[in-house]
Amino acid sequence: MDWKTDKFFSVEQVMDGMKAAHYICDSQVATTIYLAANIEKPVLVEGPAGVGKTELAKVVAEYLEVPLIRIQCYEGLDESKALYEWKYGKQLLYTQLLKDKLDTIMNTQDKLADSIEKLHQYDDIFFSPHFLEPRPLLKALEQPDGVVLLIDEIDKADEEFEAFLLEVLSDFQVSIPEIGTIKAVRKPLVFLTSNNARELSEALKRRCLHLYIPYPSAALEREVIKTRLPQIGEKLRKQMVAFIQAVRTLDIRKPPSISETIDWARVLLLMHAESLNRELVGKTLNVILKHEEDIRVAEEKLVSLTAEALKADDGMTGE
Amino acid sequence: MEGVLGDFITVLRKAGVRVSISESLDAVSAAQIMGYDNRRLFKEALSASLAKSHAEKNIFDSCFESFFSFNFFQSPKKANTHNPEAYPEALKDQLSALVLKDDKGQLAALMTEAGRMANISSIKNPMQKSLFTMKILNQMGMPGMEAMVGQIKSSTGSGLSQQTAELLEKGRDDLVQTVKEYVEQQLQLNADGVDSKDQFLKTTPLSQIELRHFHRMDGLIQRLIRQLEDRHSRRLKTANRGKLDYKKTLRKSISYGGFLFAPLWKKKKENRPDVIVICDISRSVLRTVRFLMLFIYGLNKRIGKIHTFIFYSNMIDASYIFDRYSIEEALSKITTDPSLPIIRGKSDYNTMFTNFRDHHMHLVTKNTTVVILGDARNNFNPPRAEVLKAIGERCKRLIWLNPETKPFWGTGDSEIKTYAPYCHLLQECNTLVHLERVVGTLLSARR
Repeated sequence: MDWKTDKFFSVEQVMDGMKAAHYICDSQVATTIYLAANIEKPVLVEGPAGVGKTELAKVVAEYLEVPLIRIQCYEGLDESKALYEWKYGKQLLYTQLLKDKLDTIMNTQDKLADSIEKLHQYDDIFFSPHFLEPRPLLKALEQPDGVVLLIDEIDKADEEFEAFLLEVLSDFQVSIPEIGTIKAVRKPLVFLTSNNARELSEALKRRCLHLYIPYPSAALEREVIKTRLPQIGEKLRKQMVAFIQAVRTLDIRKPPSISETIDWARVLLLMHAESLNRELVGKTLNVILKHEEDIRVAEEKLVSLTAEALKADDGMTGE
Repeated sequence: MEGVLGDFITVLRKAGVRVSISESLDAVSAAQIMGYDNRRLFKEALSASLAKSHAEKNIFDSCFESFFSFNFFQSPKKANTHNPEAYPEALKDQLSALVLKDDKGQLAALMTEAGRMANISSIKNPMQKSLFTMKILNQMGMPGMEAMVGQIKSSTGSGLSQQTAELLEKGRDDLVQTVKEYVEQQLQLNADGVDSKDQFLKTTPLSQIELRHFHRMDGLIQRLIRQLEDRHSRRLKTANRGKLDYKKTLRKSISYGGFLFAPLWKKKKENRPDVIVICDISRSVLRTVRFLMLFIYGLNKRIGKIHTFIFYSNMIDASYIFDRYSIEEALSKITTDPSLPIIRGKSDYNTMFTNFRDHHMHLVTKNTTVVILGDARNNFNPPRAEVLKAIGERCKRLIWLNPETKPFWGTGDSEIKTYAPYCHLLQECNTLVHLERVVGTLLSARR
């Protein structure tokens, strides 16, 4: 099966495929994925928290029907955890267990120099693939059917890890000093996500296509809720989205993102709400806002916000 | 089309988007895959391969919209239907022929080419507009067309040739208008009007930055701090876990009857400098103090211990203020709090140095970097350079930051030239760029 001809024939096909996997995306997202598959480049996805950056990679994996391999980055992540590790314990244990065997090899030789010479023929066995513990990156390269590789929150990792990734991202290969260079059996589709906790290096950006996912537009957000939670009535959906969109324009620390909207929709569904009202919103505000100050700011304007949201519904019934 | 893409990339670069060669190549292959027929897809494809941050996306959008807006040559006035073959003499001139045939594509190509010949991308300010319009029109062959119009008019011709002349004149006016618009558009694309405010803030003297920019400055400092941290953490943390420690592993194996299977690792030692900051908080230096402190306390992950002394007419140890309060509060406390035992009279380096020698010299070790921030305007008190010399000999590095610009050093009551020989580094420091450089050297281990 070839992705390019099969799954990435056109941008529309990608968009439909994503929609079938319950991920509503705009055309920019679809275009970027389509391009990434066709020119075999990694995609760097940026945007505020909770707009579906990680979800995107999962859905693409589902769409392609290949496994998803994920590396969660954090400060201190290094190649021994991301790429490979020697099974030191196993190496040491085998040396001990094979002691007798080694003795017999050694005993047949009289001279020390000869023994050493003889040993040299064996030393590499301990640094062979049998003693290699593959970590996510190496696993991703070894998959014969291709894979979606998600390097999550790359901005949390140290800069040296980023530098180390460059070889993987540009050539889809890694170098292991003791063994040599391992090339990808099948080039994986790579997604990197970043919350912009720090500026990423130019070198990394240069090797990736870049995708910025902003907060969704009202229409897109309604569509997402419709797909994810079809049980929600149309009226409530419009009101909710109008309310959320209004909250995002407030001066708050963490504006609610699409994942919070979905959570809120679930909550409202559980409470059998038909339409928004002030009391209901006041009670469930902590689902969409996660900071005490933010909730206070929103509560002050609750009356006007709710009224606006209810009005928005009337205005848009024609849509 | 590759040529046009190249021009577009040049425009992007001028607008402040950093585009490398490999990204240009990506853009070319992206364009080939997507084709040029669907404008939206074309734009999205270029956006993914050229603009690599949210800010760059915005610049990209505006550049794309103005660059790929080929709506000229679509004049609403419909050209008269006519038969060019009827005027063979007019067709001898290339430009006249194109105008008469109303061949907009060719005209656009001719204009772009003429623009390139006239080096339009070098346009920088509005004063150059008429010059470039002129150059392009000439390059396109306007004089030839003018001559043609005159020739037709003067010929004792029928109504038909008069009509041709009118058509040509109208075409000429449209053309001039179009070229003007084109030049205007090129000016907007090529002149450096893009957000260079950050750059401006970085190089403006700190004392002249207005209060309303402080918020922006703080953001800028946070970014610089992160960059510095990244740069310096790399060396210190090549791996959190070091190499295999054979000695420890062997020792451990004793408890397993000599079987080696539990590997132990060497630990990396972190190398963080201790810093002593001595700040003059007189009015002339206060601004710089504020930003330096933001830097130093922002970097406290990379710095071991920070001792802060502030002085005006006398000196006090202000470390506890910075330990106890947030950096913002601490800064406002040291500048305005009346309960602090600091006398706000005339700055006095004599008292400061004597006090430091008598009470705090023990803090200076060979791992300490001492940073003195002040303009060395000592109000004609004894300079006490020998104390500075003693500090310089004890510590790892002695850095003096002077917020005054160099020409003023040593004038009037400034003692900076007396102190200069004892400092390992003496720097003018009144912009953010200076500060960043200084803090960068502070973190690097070399002397």
